[in-house]
Amino acid sequence: MAEKPPSNSFDLKRRQLLKFAGATAAVGGLGLHALPASAEGTARVRDSDDGVLDVAIIGAGMAGLTAARDLHNAGCQSFVVLEARNRVGGRVLNHDLGGGQISEAGGQWIGPGQTAVADLARELQIDTFPTYYQGKTVVLGGEGRLEVDLHGTFGTDERIGAKLSELSKVVPSGAPWTSSRVAELDKLSVGEWLARQGIKPEDRSGWDTSLTLTGGVPPARMGLLHFLSMINSASCDYMKLDSIKDSAQGTRFVGGSQLLCTRMAEALGDKLRLACPVREIADWDREVVRLVTDQGEVRARRVIVAIHPALCNQVRFQPALPEGRAALQRAWPAHSPARKTAMVYKRPFWRDKGLNGHTVEVKGQVLWAWDNSPPNGEIGVINAFIVNAMVPSEPAAAQRVLAQIYARSLGDEALNPIGYHDHDWGQADPWSITCVSAIPPGFWSQHGESLRPACGNLIWSGTETAEIWAGYMDGAVRSGHQGALQALASLRQA
Amino acid sequence: MKKKLLLVTGVVLVVLLALFGRDLLGLYRLQDYLDTTTQAYEAEGPWPQTADACLACHGKQGSSLHQRYPSLAGQPADYLKTQLHTFASGQRMNPNMQPLAMSLTEKQIFELSDYYARQPALDNHGFDPDPALRAQGGKLAAAGACMACHGEHLLGQGPFPRLAGQGADYLLAQLDAFAEGRRTDPSGSMQAISATLSPADRKALAHYLASLATAPK
Ligand SMILES: Cc1cc2nc3c(=O)[nH]c(=O)nc-3n(C[C@H](O)[C@H](O)[C@H](O)COP(=O)(O)OP(=O)(O)OC[C@H]3O[C@@H](n4cnc5c(N)ncnc54)[C@H](O)[C@@H]3O)c2cc1C
Repeated sequence: MAEKPPSNSFDLKRRQLLKFAGATAAVGGLGLHALPASAEGTARVRDSDDGVLDVAIIGAGMAGLTAARDLHNAGCQSFVVLEARNRVGGRVLNHDLGGGQISEAGGQWIGPGQTAVADLARELQIDTFPTYYQGKTVVLGGEGRLEVDLHGTFGTDERIGAKLSELSKVVPSGAPWTSSRVAELDKLSVGEWLARQGIKPEDRSGWDTSLTLTGGVPPARMGLLHFLSMINSASCDYMKLDSIKDSAQGTRFVGGSQLLCTRMAEALGDKLRLACPVREIADWDREVVRLVTDQGEVRARRVIVAIHPALCNQVRFQPALPEGRAALQRAWPAHSPARKTAMVYKRPFWRDKGLNGHTVEVKGQVLWAWDNSPPNGEIGVINAFIVNAMVPSEPAAAQRVLAQIYARSLGDEALNPIGYHDHDWGQADPWSITCVSAIPPGFWSQHGESLRPACGNLIWSGTETAEIWAGYMDGAVRSGHQGALQALASLRQA
Repeated sequence: MKKKLLLVTGVVLVVLLALFGRDLLGLYRLQDYLDTTTQAYEAEGPWPQTADACLACHGKQGSSLHQRYPSLAGQPADYLKTQLHTFASGQRMNPNMQPLAMSLTEKQIFELSDYYARQPALDNHGFDPDPALRAQGGKLAAAGACMACHGEHLLGQGPFPRLAGQGADYLLAQLDAFAEGRRTDPSGSMQAISATLSPADRKALAHYLASLATAPK
């Protein structure tokens, strides 16, 4: 690709920036254009005379949008959000089920201790409601079937959970590589550790499934140190991480999680540019960073990079990033492209039978299916994480296969769905690649120190950089706040 | 006394079966399934195993029903080893596979390649080929001499992968990548061949190869 953008893209950029400059005459000079947000009315981008913005944010996921919201609230008017897709939300996405109903295709739950995202939702006037878990879960395996009341848990052996909780106390969520026991813990996979606990054959599949759902990979390839840092996020309580009731899978948003993002985006007006992937980041070590996008060049003094480290590999950096950061990006695991489905029924018919709509398959096609109906059960929705390669890729065929599985767990009514939605995050488009981070053993010891330090004027954000609840929506919100603070503080110093 | 007790337990069992018959049978079958799957799993070694991490995309014993995620079953070990190495070195590009391959030790790469090479290749029943495309693909395959490298029945050999029964979308993505220079092979022959094929030809080839039997008569 061309090192320099052609001059017509420069003209395009000038014109766009002039457009964004708006009627309220540009405020010249370096630093912040600190006007109270209310004085401005609707948000409008304002660059200084030289056409350089204070801040450019890459990515309109929960992190990037939170950062934008904070900048706006702080009175900064000179910023844009550049989003590759032609929608906001990133890894949160609502399937439109019709009739005003939705089901989430990506991130959906919050839980205890996830105060940043809960606060944001309150500020945006978005309500929450509990995940439906009352009644019996169905376990399927081969021809076998068992109904069991798990009382809002996944039925994991709490004795093992307690041991993990205890160990997690020495692994700080935001910096696992600084643990006092890093050498010993980062050598092991969760699998190697579990193998020493004498897990019974009938419990192994449960661990395989729960690690796959929570960590993005079965125990064999999940780093113990990283998993412990996740438990540390959950107030050092395994059950607050990997359960439903009073746990990280226990609470949903009315209207779906993407609503947080669309609400934040509404307030941004034309500061948000969709279908605008950043292809190249140049001069990040200079005073003014140049971003080459599909809609021309954008120049800014600070850049908040609110995208997943694996997504950074799709961006050219000129000059190359420092070796530590470059190595971290190259090695960042991206092999958890979850496929999540929603089967829609007229009613949540299973509830009348004392079932909670949850199905767990032992070594089967469905990892976990659950009742994802709207708050008052107006319609019935069964969402599921499925084993991608064990279900046909073609949606109509996948729907048939899954409906038959649900018929075995919930009854023949399951054979007559009124809708089906299927989202494979690895294939739908190139802007997520993966969902959660299956950090392998040894990763943090080698790369941890390179996670957060800014590179020149690039500030790293996105849920992966969060101090608490990294990998979750809560972490995304925290990292957005952090990114905005860093940008504002460093602009003040300039 | 003993007789009476036996009788009682008998009665209890009958009552239980009447009440929970379906449940008990279901539980029995579940237990049975657990036993057989555990036994089959442990034949490869104790739990957990590195290959667990490959299952989600590459399927049970390396046979994927998903047309875009390739089947690894029955692929030559040499080929698999080379791919893991080239993913790790960045020579072959795939955002999901690169970091995963980088995190594997030589021993793990050897074991994974050996494991998948030993698994039986299965036909791609999930794919419904277009008859015209398949016929056209058959001619192209013969003209392109695919068999010279990939073996008489296109089941792969040495450094050359099995194409028969592979996922259709995966095959097409690879042909496109070769044609556009995003994937390379040591001899350069795949690039040379793919570059002469139109996008429609590549699609036809994918339909033909995906629908080929893995156990030719
Ligand atoms: C299936 C699934 C289930 C999940 N379940 C939960 C859950 O229940 N609870 C929970 O808390 N979390 C869950 N998560 C995780 C949660 O969704 C994420 O942690 C969170 O949404 C990440 O937000 P983010 O802003 O950091 O990143 P992202 O949402 O990934 O946002 C990054 C944005 O950047 C854009 N982008 C990428 N590259 C470029 C570029 N070059 N130029 C411009 N823009 C670019 C992308 O399009 C995207 O919009 C789940 C995720 C998935 C996929």
